[in-house]
Amino acid sequence: MPVLADIKEAITRELEGLALVIGWGQGYDPVHAVPFFCRSSADIDRLIWNPLCVHNLVSYLPKLKGKKVGILCKGCDSRSIVQLLQEKLIKREEIVIIGIPCRGVVDMNKIQALINGKEVIDCSFTDKTITIKTSEGKQEASLDDVLAAKCLVCQYPTPIIFDHLAGAAFSAQRPAAAVDAEVKEIEGLDIPARLAHWERELDRCIRCYACRNACPLCVCRDHCAADARDPHWFSQRTGVNEKVMWQIMHALHLAGRCTDCGECERACPMNIPIQRIRRKINKEIKELFAYEAGVNPADTPPLYTFKVEEPTIKESEW
Amino acid sequence: MRIGVFVCHCGTNIGGMVDSHQVAEAAKQFPHVVYATDYLYTCSEPGQLQIQTAIKEQSLDGVVVAACSPRMHENTFRRTIERAGLNRYMFDMANIREHCSWIGEDKEANTRKATELVRMAVAKVANHAHLHSSLFDVNKRVLVLGGGVAGMQAALDCADGGLDVILVEKKTSVGGRMAQLDKTFPTVDCSICILGPKMVDVAQHDKIKLYTYAEIDEIKGYVGNYTAKIRKKAPYVDWTKCTGCGLCMEKCPSKQSFDYHNEGIAVTTAINIPFPQAIPKKAKIDPAYCRQFTKGKCGVCAKVCPVKAINYEMEDEIVTEEVGAIIVATGYGLLDIGELGEYGAGRYPDVITGIQYERMLNASGPTQGHVQRPSDGEEPKRVVFISCAGSRDASLGRPYCSNFCCMYIAKQAILTKDHVPGVEVYVFYIDIRSPGKGYEEFTRRAQEEYGVQYIRGRVSRVFPQGKRMMVKGVDTLLGAQMEIEADLVVLGTAATAAPGAQELAEKLRISYDGYGFYMESHPKLRPVETNTSGVFLAGACQGPKDIPASVGQGSAAASKVLALFSKDQLASDPQIALVNERRCIGCFKCQDTCPFGAIEERELRDGQKVAHVIETVCQGCGLCTSTCPPGAIQLQQCTDNQIIAEVEALCQAWKQRS
Repeated sequence: MPVLADIKEAITRELEGLALVIGWGQGYDPVHAVPFFCRSSADIDRLIWNPLCVHNLVSYLPKLKGKKVGILCKGCDSRSIVQLLQEKLIKREEIVIIGIPCRGVVDMNKIQALINGKEVIDCSFTDKTITIKTSEGKQEASLDDVLAAKCLVCQYPTPIIFDHLAGAAFSAQRPAAAVDAEVKEIEGLDIPARLAHWERELDRCIRCYACRNACPLCVCRDHCAADARDPHWFSQRTGVNEKVMWQIMHALHLAGRCTDCGECERACPMNIPIQRIRRKINKEIKELFAYEAGVNPADTPPLYTFKVEEPTIKESEW
Repeated sequence: MRIGVFVCHCGTNIGGMVDSHQVAEAAKQFPHVVYATDYLYTCSEPGQLQIQTAIKEQSLDGVVVAACSPRMHENTFRRTIERAGLNRYMFDMANIREHCSWIGEDKEANTRKATELVRMAVAKVANHAHLHSSLFDVNKRVLVLGGGVAGMQAALDCADGGLDVILVEKKTSVGGRMAQLDKTFPTVDCSICILGPKMVDVAQHDKIKLYTYAEIDEIKGYVGNYTAKIRKKAPYVDWTKCTGCGLCMEKCPSKQSFDYHNEGIAVTTAINIPFPQAIPKKAKIDPAYCRQFTKGKCGVCAKVCPVKAINYEMEDEIVTEEVGAIIVATGYGLLDIGELGEYGAGRYPDVITGIQYERMLNASGPTQGHVQRPSDGEEPKRVVFISCAGSRDASLGRPYCSNFCCMYIAKQAILTKDHVPGVEVYVFYIDIRSPGKGYEEFTRRAQEEYGVQYIRGRVSRVFPQGKRMMVKGVDTLLGAQMEIEADLVVLGTAATAAPGAQELAEKLRISYDGYGFYMESHPKLRPVETNTSGVFLAGACQGPKDIPASVGQGSAAASKVLALFSKDQLASDPQIALVNERRCIGCFKCQDTCPFGAIEERELRDGQKVAHVIETVCQGCGLCTSTCPPGAIQLQQCTDNQIIAEVEALCQAWKQRS
């Protein structure tokens, strides 16, 4: 049975007990998917599933705490669910997870380059290719060429946690070593060069907070310290210092929590590679605490607990 | 804000290396500062008067004193400004002595740094808020941990002072190390004879509740209101019935059990009473040796017990006690002699530790006081003592002196001469440490009256030579190598922290040094206090010490508790975490990170759940504040905004300079 049919069947069975099911629907043109809230059986047929379903829908879950909801999720998205469960920010019994093993979603920037501003008439996929029909003809490309960077190093294609699995599970198809390559590139720079690199990149930041709003783990919402006067960590001045400060704060608040879903970078209108900062911190956390965020619901995030002695850090002899 | 700045010279302590006058002049330019001056000794009476006068004349509402460490005089100056009508927390100290004049050799740079420290302190005080303590009731019961001589003394003094005392002892009997000793130096009087009456007093005092064979599972709370969970371990004998008749010990078929009281130089029965004077005199089964536990059948003791006290199904019991203060007197441990490979300790039966020898010398010990070689039971003709076995040895990570070995070796040398006519006794030593009253005379007596041969030097190796042990060392006074054939070698084994000392310290939240000994609050002026309010120390848990010092500390700790309990109520420290409920998102990460369990859930009227700090439980450690993502929880007097203000003041100083 095709994956989408699997999904629809699961929703049909579950919908009655749920306030809504969050999935993806068709956007304003054939290459855009949008989050879609399915509330009645009439909505079910409007759901779609293809490599355009880029969004991590888990970002909606913390706000819906208290309601029983269903959610569609890819492998990477499922880690956000696991992490929110670890942090007790959502309740397992309040969510029904329809997991989808995923071979990758597109990078919309790469798609835009392909379309080059033309009107899109149709978009179709095979296992290996994407074909886009525009007002000026047909563009065909290999899927690997338009996949998001995170998908090219994906280690969790099949959801870690689910109630229904649509389609067959499969394990990682890409080498694990690739995950660290871009972090190593930055680590190769000396400290002043690293600072210069990030000041250059982050100077593009317009502090629109799209990265924050898209992040499934940024749960403070209207109470974000970036908007506060007490504590007054930074001003509204638009200098590079404030931009760097904001991105550091965001990254540090995700230390030991970031599940590498890449929503921050995807949402960034200025194409700043901020996921790298998180990957670097993830790497440090893994080395320091032997912990990877969002892979085991029974784990405790290392920075959100108090232990006299960390099992991985030997401070005293006993 | 109208802030006054007072810069101290501390004589030449600060004035010699910092231009205090220039610091005060510079401070006049800082935002909010309306008055600044320098003085020779700000902590002196005229110095404090100067602050009080300025507060009145200049209408100050905040004060900065640039002087020594706040650990010295913060409270002095808080009281000073309080007397002049200010809230005592509208104050901050810039440490321009320990952080500045004492560590830098460049006066100009020191002065600059002092100025920057003052600038930061001013910026912080400008963000200070009035804080107020609240009063809470004190539970006037005291928990004493450890029933050795220090703990017993503390318990007796507290009980005699009218307090209810809970005494917890790990072993089945009180008495501790001293109960194992034969004689005590420098008087050579019988140890158990002088200890026994204290043990009886402890058991019979109507103010003392005794838990033996018990350990601490958990300590919660704060000064005045601690809750202790005490684990009463299962002795498999119903102590309410056991009369201590000892019939079970006579009949127990498992006669090869490890004898802890005799430090393994003898064996005992699986069910046993450790020594005749034990208090309480109750039997306990060692399940590691008992056939009922190891083989699943035996039951001899249950059959012979005249009062049917044996219960193989018994389980540990947890009791909870509420107390207001805790005295820790958990004593010391001894080095695992296996670490001293060069002495052959643990490999050769005739190399034993001082405490094992003590048991051998004891008339109620396994040899009834006869000195015998463990290997063949023969009386030794030559005994060699090696002092500092494991102590004063940086290569073993134990550079400290174990305090009492010199003295007990002299005592054991004298006793050896008494017990074995014609025996030769040698003592290898590094220095003879005998600074107590009558101690030096005692060690001289060992040498001069008893003819004990003291050799100044260390032993490099001990190895068997036929039936005897060859002791190879050096006599540094003669500058010669020494080889002595000995029948018995006794090691003055290093004292260490008690096993489990660190784990207990974590439960009590007290500090310990690199060796596991507990840290006193001040090495000279607060020797029995810890930095955790309401927790006091007595005896060798703080560092190796002999009986008189341990008893003295036991009494000292008791007097501290009695002084603490002389008030019915204590004032809480308002410098704790506080939740801004309007900003709290209710994620409760603070609750998960709080080591003290100080955060609870509070429901607002609209049903929203937010975090709430329990004032008296919070210790102001600040973990929650660094965890809280929106910065909703703030440590009073150390808020993010105060720290930011300090950092900004510092950055502005740098900017102006460059």
